[in-house]
Amino acid sequence: MEQAADITEESQLIERLQRGDPAAYRAAVRAYTPAMLAVARFYLDRDSAEDVVQDSWVAVVGAIKKFERRSGLKTWLHRIVANRAKNQLRHSQREISTDFGDALEPALAARFARNGRWATPPPLTTIASAEALMENGALSDCLDKHLADLPEKQRSALMLYEAHRHKSDDVCNILDVSASNLRVLLHRARQRIFLMIETFQETGEC
Amino acid sequence: MLMCRDLAIVASDYIDGNLGAVDNLSVRMHLLMCRHCRSFIGNLRSSIQLMRGHSDNVLDDRLARRLDREIDKALQSKSKGGPDKD
Repeated sequence: MEQAADITEESQLIERLQRGDPAAYRAAVRAYTPAMLAVARFYLDRDSAEDVVQDSWVAVVGAIKKFERRSGLKTWLHRIVANRAKNQLRHSQREISTDFGDALEPALAARFARNGRWATPPPLTTIASAEALMENGALSDCLDKHLADLPEKQRSALMLYEAHRHKSDDVCNILDVSASNLRVLLHRARQRIFLMIETFQETGEC
Repeated sequence: MLMCRDLAIVASDYIDGNLGAVDNLSVRMHLLMCRHCRSFIGNLRSSIQLMRGHSDNVLDDRLARRLDREIDKALQSKSKGGPDKD
């Protein structure tokens, strides 16, 4: 039911954008730009990413009438940003370098003995449920800080896949990575967040 | 035999259902025997749920205003007869 309401809401927003309603653009900018920035930051530095997002919104004004709704609005916007960011990267002749090497974060890898068993195992007390964790304001602030500190590639992958719930095929297309590389990015990012929550629960410190 | 370190490497694939049947069975067998890895998988799952519920939808005012300005310009230019673009 909620999903149907979301689709109706998006459909109404698209119609208003197609009519050139400035208030609809303001709402869309606030709803969609953070994830568009996450896409652009996968390829570019912060300033260039902001420029690309701006160019993309201006392009949307010209192109929205031809948006045929074969994908959701969010996916369409992310593809526009990704294409522009890739073009910009090509022009700057910079190479995108990403560490797809080890599947384990060094801080987690160090917790295993040479025989492959845990040397420093996780505490047997279970981390509280996600709902209980979300109600903890200090933890939420800590999560914001650690998400901001993640390597850009991991952060973009994590945001698109977990927070914005894109399918993995879409994330691979938008970020131009293979399925196996996406899995490494996600697993590394998840381990960092897991380690952060574990520390927070043990010490109360971020 | 699957060791704890091996399980940590494939933990996300296990949670996301990306493992083949044989590897999936190996992980399940290991989890039956290892309480530390059960704890690890449970906690990693909670961390993932937390991220799924966490929004990064905060746009700083400076960029929001800048985008509003540029979009307004583009809308005005379009209403004066600028061409639609692909």
